Amino acid sequence: MIATQQAINMFVQETGGWAASQLEACTRCGMCAEACHFYQSSANPEYAPVWKLEILKRAYEQRFTLVGKFKTAIGIDKKITDQDVAHWSELNYYACTVCNKCAMVCPMGIDLGTLLHTVRSGLAAAGMVPEDLETAVMKQVIEGSPLGMTASVWDSRLEWVADEWEVDIPRDVKGADTLVVFTSIEVMKFPTNVAAIAKILNAAGEKWTVSSSAREVVNFGFYEGDQEHEKLFMRRLFDGAKELGVKRIVVTECGHAYDALRFHAPNLLSEANDYEIVHITGVMADLVKSGRIKLQEGFYDNVGTLTLHDACKIQRKGGYIQEPRDILNIIAPKSFKEMTPNQEEAICCGGGGGVIAIKAADPIRYDVFTLKIDQVNKIGANMVTMTCSNCRLQFTDCMDHFKLDWKITGLAQMVADAMVE
Amino acid sequence: MNWNDVLSFARGPLFQAALLIFIAGMLYRLVRVIGLGWSRNHVRPKKSQTKGVVMSYLKGILIWPFVPWVKNTFTKNPIIYLAGGLFHLGLFVILVLGTAHMLVWKSLLGFGWKTLPLPIVDWFAAATIVAMVVLFINRLINPVLKLLTGTAEWLNLLFVFVPMLTGYIMTHHLFFQYEVLFSIHMLSVDFLLIWIPFSRISHFVFYFFSKSIHGQEFAKHGVRA
Ligand code: HEM
Ligand code: SF4
Ligand code: SF4
Ligand code: SF4
Repeated sequence: MIATQQAINMFVQETGGWAASQLEACTRCGMCAEACHFYQSSANPEYAPVWKLEILKRAYEQRFTLVGKFKTAIGIDKKITDQDVAHWSELNYYACTVCNKCAMVCPMGIDLGTLLHTVRSGLAAAGMVPEDLETAVMKQVIEGSPLGMTASVWDSRLEWVADEWEVDIPRDVKGADTLVVFTSIEVMKFPTNVAAIAKILNAAGEKWTVSSSAREVVNFGFYEGDQEHEKLFMRRLFDGAKELGVKRIVVTECGHAYDALRFHAPNLLSEANDYEIVHITGVMADLVKSGRIKLQEGFYDNVGTLTLHDACKIQRKGGYIQEPRDILNIIAPKSFKEMTPNQEEAICCGGGGGVIAIKAADPIRYDVFTLKIDQVNKIGANMVTMTCSNCRLQFTDCMDHFKLDWKITGLAQMVADAMVE
Repeated sequence: MNWNDVLSFARGPLFQAALLIFIAGMLYRLVRVIGLGWSRNHVRPKKSQTKGVVMSYLKGILIWPFVPWVKNTFTKNPIIYLAGGLFHLGLFVILVLGTAHMLVWKSLLGFGWKTLPLPIVDWFAAATIVAMVVLFINRLINPVLKLLTGTAEWLNLLFVFVPMLTGYIMTHHLFFQYEVLFSIHMLSVDFLLIWIPFSRISHFVFYFFSKSIHGQEFAKHGVRA
């Protein structure tokens, strides 16, 4: 009961007019269901976005509205129980990637993604975060990274990348313009991405650096919804940036990290607005446009059919919709083909929002990926590129699981390979 | 019972009382929500938020439900879009562009406007009634809607349906004596007016909040609303 009360307290604390007016606006029309890939792939009505929100709505009504109070008093509405909190924890953490697709179709325009993040905050306050996710969060608290990228691991990995790909990675350079923060996914699993981004920035003559204290851009607190953790991990980045005196922070190929830093940090920490926060996709597009790097036209036109997976946090929620397309239209004008639906309507990969970190959610996550398989197969693509390493993790894992033989790559890597020196 | 007395009561004092409850109730709802406070947003927007809000309304009102970005959804569940859209369009035509209701507005506001010919309004009314039946059936069979629909949602549909149906039968002078129908029509309208502040039919007010927030949020993120 104490846990439940904590969840409710958090819901109540987060319910300003902004949230309340949207909760009041919902007509319970159910249209958002069809937008959600978790519902699409399973037909489980409980996966309807509005239903994932139900617990917040109930808490709000029972605390703030006359009708809600009346209904609880006479027993039409039941008070939220421990079982409810446990149940909604599964619905939200296992079967939602906070991709915000549902907000695209809601006829009332309700910003479901943000409200679903509030639900997570409540569940986190109640201590109802799935164990796997909580373990990863605690790892980030203690070691500085959910993937075990401690300072010494980071050090030796970057050393190795610099050696292996013969690329300069400036470290802890005071007075650099740009601080680049990689994800541990890239450093540990897709090191070619690290090399590629270094190569691009060096070629452009950018005054950049990485930081040994601000070395992890991933923010597992953001998945979990615990504000204190969110802030702790963000503060590490801003402290590192301040130490080096940079003007700009570049988030590499990580979707939720960009979302957290660009669109949430300014409301949590005042120092966030001291920096320009950009995603590497935007940086690359700018460099190409201004001619600071040159790409070989049609470099990838012999790879078969290439397609772009829109990462929800970078395209639909981040606004970098045209940028990757501009780049692909240079390096792969003939082989690049769009999936449908695409751009801000794109279907999410199913691995985001921390879902991929939760073992118990595996069957659901694989189910969702079948939608992606259909999409890719429909246009006969054999190569998929994307701007988010978390999506890439989901793709590579699903390649194994479904025995697919597409080539999976990151956009930065493609750009680096197609550069003319 | 004298239906004429019932009618004059339902059109007179009861209607005025219902109107008063409706207005006071909606004001209360509004004030309460606004009173919860609005924390300041410190995120620098990527695109013009004003433009985002304008686009959000244009897309929402003018071309809904045929908005291209819901195509994927639309092909899977056209019923809610079509029936829902038709129902609201019909409601608007009847309540604003129908002569009978315009005269009610005129008595309340002091001015009137040009209306559509009766046969057209009548067709809309028929279509609206059909649309409501479709919405009702859809709520019965769609698994998501079954989960979402409680007593209050059923009552919403019912309380809008009764005035709609009695109004239609009344204009065609069918089945019942005119005074009887008119009385039931007015009683159900009075009841609906009182019901709205206590129910989700109040969405027409909060629509302007959520739709503005939508446009603002999407512009903030640099995405087409
Ligand atoms: C700004 C004006 C309005 C907007 C934007 C709006 C929007 C919507 C939307 C998007 C839905 C859900 C989809 C659907 O079932 O059609 C809905 C449902 C509904 N609306 Fe409205 N509405 C407005 C005004 C009204 C008014 C004035 C009434 C008064 C009678 C009303 C009665 C209903 C009812 C009864 C439903 C539920 C239908 C169902 O059960 O499926 N609406 N509205
Ligand atoms: S689409 Fe919007 S209004 Fe309809 S049920 Fe979902 S959240 Fe509510
Ligand atoms: S945010 Fe995405 S995953 Fe979550 S409910 Fe909405 S559509 Fe589904
Ligand atoms: S991993 Fe990629 S597609 Fe999946 S939720 Fe994150 S950004 Fe969206």
